[in-house]
Amino acid sequence: MKSFSYDAQITAIVFDAEGAVFALGDGSVRFEDGAFSAAHDGAILCAVAHPSGNGVVTGGDDGRLIWHRRTDAGVLATSANGQWIDAVDASAESGMIAFSAGKTLTVLDAKDAGFRRDFQHERTVSGVAFEPKGRRIATSTYGGAALWFARIAEQKPTFLKWAGSHTAVTFSPDGAFVVTAMQDSQLHGWRLKDQKNMRMGGYPSKVRAFSFLSNGQLLATSGAQGAVLWPFVGANGPMGREATEIGFDEGSLVALVASQPKHGLLAAGLSDGRVWLADPAGQGLNFLKVDRGAPITALAMSTDATRVAWADEDGKAGVSTL
Amino acid sequence: MTDKIPVTVLTGYLGAGKTTLLNRILTEDHGKRYAVIVNEFGEIGIDNDLVVGADEDVFEMNNGCVCCTVRGDLIRVVAGLMKRQRPGKPAFDAIIVETTGLADPGPVAQTFFVDEDVKAKTQLDSVTALVDAKHVMARLDDSKEAREQVAFADRIILNKTDLVSEAELVEVERRLRKLNPLAPITRAKRANVPLDQVLGLGGFDLGRILDINPEFANPAHGEVGHVHDEHCGHDHHDHDHGHDHAHHDHDHAHDHSHGARGHAHEDDIKGISLSLDRPMDGTRFTAWLDRLLGEQGQNILRAKGIIDVSGEDRRLVFQAVHMILEGDLQREWGPNERRWSRAVFIGRDLDEAALKAGFESCAA
Repeated sequence: MKSFSYDAQITAIVFDAEGAVFALGDGSVRFEDGAFSAAHDGAILCAVAHPSGNGVVTGGDDGRLIWHRRTDAGVLATSANGQWIDAVDASAESGMIAFSAGKTLTVLDAKDAGFRRDFQHERTVSGVAFEPKGRRIATSTYGGAALWFARIAEQKPTFLKWAGSHTAVTFSPDGAFVVTAMQDSQLHGWRLKDQKNMRMGGYPSKVRAFSFLSNGQLLATSGAQGAVLWPFVGANGPMGREATEIGFDEGSLVALVASQPKHGLLAAGLSDGRVWLADPAGQGLNFLKVDRGAPITALAMSTDATRVAWADEDGKAGVSTL
Repeated sequence: MTDKIPVTVLTGYLGAGKTTLLNRILTEDHGKRYAVIVNEFGEIGIDNDLVVGADEDVFEMNNGCVCCTVRGDLIRVVAGLMKRQRPGKPAFDAIIVETTGLADPGPVAQTFFVDEDVKAKTQLDSVTALVDAKHVMARLDDSKEAREQVAFADRIILNKTDLVSEAELVEVERRLRKLNPLAPITRAKRANVPLDQVLGLGGFDLGRILDINPEFANPAHGEVGHVHDEHCGHDHHDHDHGHDHAHHDHDHAHDHSHGARGHAHEDDIKGISLSLDRPMDGTRFTAWLDRLLGEQGQNILRAKGIIDVSGEDRRLVFQAVHMILEGDLQREWGPNERRWSRAVFIGRDLDEAALKAGFESCAA
């Protein structure tokens, strides 16, 4: 395991094609190989791998969206009035990048610097997610989720309604479901073909992370004493099915989870600083970090599921090769 | 792990002097770093390197409980600010939240008790209401929000006192005190308030609710019995207190109709002070308070109390914001201390007689 220690909080970890990249609360980006990019004036609030696989795209509280590579960095876009950029996603499939600032969703094309679309919402956008092909985008907001086409200039979104404050959003890998996390410690889902609602509750705490694995057959989430797994098999997804929980430990909460849709491994970062890896089809937990400490605040798994990177609230980080 | 960051909420309508007060706080030579959350993004004139816009995004949690009406923008902004925290070194010494004159202070305060992430990182210190002496009477007449902001506050700063007469000030202070008997009123000109009267008040800290003295609440400036204490905040050199109002009508029924504008200032919101000189039955009192807040919490903006519980050497201290109640046994009664129970409820359409009867029925 490689270890790192920074004098700032690590707010996000991303794997690009070459390795782990840490985005920090002091506005800098640190590459695993030691390369450094200090481009934001303020904290980095969100990060995603660039669609090309080279480097990372970060959104900051300075209202700038920046593409950091190991040798240079450049501003891709700025938000209106310098509003915080709260959420970002990118699609390697379509080469598009989407980010939110306040009530606005902005869509960029990584291969066409002149392309920019701005879409307005009635309430603040909290999360942004591309569908697997990268042609549509879901945003989470108060009262539900909105679905947009990435390229169309003038459009009305499809609004998936559900009362309450939705704080994050994701698409299932087959594109059939949209799932949001909610302020009141539950998930909500919609089957897109008929907008059928799915309520996924029972959490003792807010769900901060969710991630699909096992070819999209499982959705893993944080927010409980173990990692919660919802079955997404067949046309009905989790409707009428029970969730399972792995790695239950009464003394801690799973703060974050990470996985890759095409692989069966799940990583979990705990509120007591431990990090484990598990294969839900198998037995037992493999602790990547067994020492307790500050809560885990960032966690990521490489696209090929061979490496896991984590960071805690005290600025300590590690990268494990599985 | 770092300590929780104190949060001070500053309320007040446009023109009350909030920006001036903020700039005084921010530019005073204190070596401290503040994050300021304002309502209008890009608001000019605030002299701080970290000013964040929020959009007054009020929402109800799905459980339908009124106490779970929170400000989504504050949850988001506080979470974002916390990302600037460095290991072991807080990024700021305090967060100051400025609200508009139309903001309901309830959801602002409730956010700091309801959201688990916000609660883990920050602690609501106090709510300060800034009012301007010249216009506050009219605002209180026509704006429900203005009355609520005054009633909700831990401290009231009566600004621009140089623009009105002493008699008008006395009338304003009388009305403010009826709306909110708990909050000390600090007089100010051009928002010249010492920092320690705005920051670090511990308004929600049970350990700092040391005394509540409803019967002998200090009368307003210029009134009979006014004691000049540290809360006055006036300039001792250049103004006349008008102590010759000795024959002021001091009827405690308080339904005078000689307000500054000739109105009968009987506001829908008022503070009700209760006290009892006998010990209380702890179980009965807790049950009464729970029921009261459950049934009328929507109308109760703030409550504070110190209770003498029968058979208990420590003081039971509580504070409530709408339905959110915090209570705990605090320090022991001193050997020579007067042991008595007192509480103040500030709210809308409260039935004073019923509250008094309920409170007294908890006697052991």
